Amino acid sequence: MSEMIELKLNEQPSKKRQYLLLGGIILAMLLWSLTAITFSAPDDGGAKIAGNIIKGILSPDMQLLWNFTSQGVFYLLFETICIAFLGTIFGAILSIPFAFLMAPSVVPKPVYLITRFLVVVIRTIPSLVYGLMFVRVSGPGPFAGVLTMSLTSIGMVSKLYVDVIEDIDRGILEAMDAMGCTTFEKIRFGIIPQLIANFSSITIYRFDMNLRDATILGLVGAGGIGSPLIFAMNSYRWHQVGSILIGLVILILIVEAISNKLRAKLVNG
Amino acid sequence: MIKFENVSKIYPNGHVGLKNVDLQIEQGEFVAIIGLSGAGKSTLLRCVNKMHDISSGKLTVNGVDVTQLKGKEIRRFRSKIGMIFQSFNLITRTTVLGNVLVSLVPELSWWRRLLGVYPATAKIAGLKALDNVGILDKAYTRVDQLSGGQQQRVALARTLVGDPDIILADEPVAALDPVTAKIVMDDFQRINREMNISILLNIHHVDLAVAYADRIVGIRQGEIVFDGPTSAVTQEIIDEIYQGHGSSSIKGSAEPVAAEVVVDA
Amino acid sequence: MRKRTLTLPNGKVVTEQRSKVPLICAILLVFIIVAMRVTHFSFRTLATNGHQFFVILGAMFPPHLDFLNRVWQPLFDTIKMSFLGSLLGALVAVPLAVLSATNIVKSKLLSGFFKLLLSIMRTLPTIVMALIATFIFGLGTMAGTLAIFIFTVSYVGKLTYEQIESLDMGTFEALESLGLTRLQAFRYGIVPQILPTYLSTSLFSFEGNLRYAAILGYVGAGGLGIILNEQLGWRDYGNVGMILTVLIVTVGLIELISQTARQKLQ
Ligand SMILES: Nc1ncnc2c1ncn2[C@@H]1O[C@H](COP(=O)(O)OP(=O)(O)O)[C@@H](O)[C@H]1O
Ligand SMILES: [Mg+2]
Repeated sequence: MSEMIELKLNEQPSKKRQYLLLGGIILAMLLWSLTAITFSAPDDGGAKIAGNIIKGILSPDMQLLWNFTSQGVFYLLFETICIAFLGTIFGAILSIPFAFLMAPSVVPKPVYLITRFLVVVIRTIPSLVYGLMFVRVSGPGPFAGVLTMSLTSIGMVSKLYVDVIEDIDRGILEAMDAMGCTTFEKIRFGIIPQLIANFSSITIYRFDMNLRDATILGLVGAGGIGSPLIFAMNSYRWHQVGSILIGLVILILIVEAISNKLRAKLVNG
Repeated sequence: MIKFENVSKIYPNGHVGLKNVDLQIEQGEFVAIIGLSGAGKSTLLRCVNKMHDISSGKLTVNGVDVTQLKGKEIRRFRSKIGMIFQSFNLITRTTVLGNVLVSLVPELSWWRRLLGVYPATAKIAGLKALDNVGILDKAYTRVDQLSGGQQQRVALARTLVGDPDIILADEPVAALDPVTAKIVMDDFQRINREMNISILLNIHHVDLAVAYADRIVGIRQGEIVFDGPTSAVTQEIIDEIYQGHGSSSIKGSAEPVAAEVVVDA
Repeated sequence: MRKRTLTLPNGKVVTEQRSKVPLICAILLVFIIVAMRVTHFSFRTLATNGHQFFVILGAMFPPHLDFLNRVWQPLFDTIKMSFLGSLLGALVAVPLAVLSATNIVKSKLLSGFFKLLLSIMRTLPTIVMALIATFIFGLGTMAGTLAIFIFTVSYVGKLTYEQIESLDMGTFEALESLGLTRLQAFRYGIVPQILPTYLSTSLFSFEGNLRYAAILGYVGAGGLGIILNEQLGWRDYGNVGMILTVLIVTVGLIELISQTARQKLQ
């Protein structure tokens, strides 16, 4: 009996070597990447600048914050919401064909592998490259932002849609066959109801992310609150930066709370 | 009336699903089809509504030669035959009423089909069917929040709303616990008696089959080995259906259900 | 909303529950129209001018291979930034997550404070953090690393405290009742339960950070973004194509490794 216990004891896989190897790799990568830490602070010292920045942000420009013209924080936030909203809607619509072409249960292997590769490419190209390309199409402004967000949304949204598609319960299709339903009726009444709730939930989640990412668009003149924010930062107007950031943070927190509620309701019924 | 005349079914891979089946079922009969797993019970049911095509012989349902049906005719033909599945096959994330009304979809006008808007008459028919199986109060609940027994009754209401002549039920209670199974079987019996709908029901539990059906059809390796009124079923016949592989000592390999019957009887 | 009733033939009356879908669709439609006005969205411009996008895309092919030599250093910088930022961020996220978890920290005030802290850190746009960091630490990888660090702390921190809060505390209490200290009970009762998800989240965050790090250079925070900005400025799209190709291959490879690791963790 004790022999068997000993045998079992020896059977326990020894993961020591694996852990050591992993630890070694991480340590080596860490040492290598430590060279990224460099200090090249301007002459008057980073600390002083940091102090100025914090002071500025903590005493926001109230005039800008409570300004309701098209230069004020409120309108800019509204414009940002519009960009993120439209970008999400169009992105979600574009994601549907991509998702079906990525689903192993829908298309043959070569098709879904090629589509998946394409989506990885779309997802990896930084959004501001798209931004610059779209500025050529529509001129600078929020329109370019919408186009950029539509494209950048595809990567994540279609990937999440695929999981929902793969989860479809096919039993209902058999039952509808037995009822004498056409293919159109099977899709309309058997498949779409299964997809709609989860698709909406994913889309809302993406809207949340797009709102956060919308600041980047400002870098390339693609509209939204990013441009004035980065302009204010580059010209050291920290009071304005403060008021814009306050507006943005509060907006994102509110939208996040609402979207969490909505998504919980969608998924649990 | 359903009439199999020397029907055989050979699957594309050469497997013989049904062999020389002769069977006649009158309107309003309650027939239980019993047999081992893989005996061909589902194949038999699925030939009736042309979910499977037969390979030879003749199959007529209410005077219609099933083999001659094509395209649209098949769909119209199927809409008069209800079908119930072991796994309920409901639309998840949709309300009970929404599930029941799907049955009426083929009859709607094109724009109603596109938008999914049902007329009040359809809704009343759906609610009536739900009332018939005793779950009217759940009409606006999502089906995934119901118990298994309630879900199977939604599926039953879904077939009823189409006003069928025949209901084909493929192991409808196999996924349910014994108590719930009895309740669902009661529903089948009541529907059979009150509405004169023929019921063909595949079932594993021989004791349930004997308790509810008027007639038992025993099937083994694609062949009908017993067909007679429930009162004529004896232990020998059950043994024959479940164990007649040529030898008599294969009790161990028979399904537990069969073993259970031996004890019951 | 007006309630409608349906009367069954047998006299039973059912109150109809109307679907909210039409209302939701109407609201969405109105908002889409408003948003199209605000953003000057125009399908006509898209149709007449849309090919410009593909003109630029076409100019990226074939990528200029001789530019490859200038891509390596910034690429390594990008990898370093995202690795260091992710590793340190994931480590710092642990204590913050524990302090935010209401089932470990009994004081609602304390856990609420740390939750808010993580929330605000997550809400501040990473690009803004990077830009601020360049003002303080100067241009270069340090700024990018810091921005990624802050984002990772907030992201991994949030997912980890949510995971801790969803844990069944039964094990923890059982271990405490066996005479273990709270710390020991945490080590043996909680850590094994959250470790796989925590590691998986950290790896996932590393993948995302690598993508994001390529942007940060745009504000001078080091890495591929710097040369990307430069080449886009020169409109040398062949070089841009080369940078993007390298980025895609690198991200693809690292994702492959990281995904395999994450699957092993499940
Ligand atoms: N599509 C098919 N192709 C080939 N063989 C099949 C197919 N469907 C069922 N069969 C075979 O036909 C036999 C009868 O199946 P089935 O009617 O499902 O049995 P039961 O319902 O009695 O369990 C089984 O041996 C099964 O493997
Ligand atoms: Mg079967």
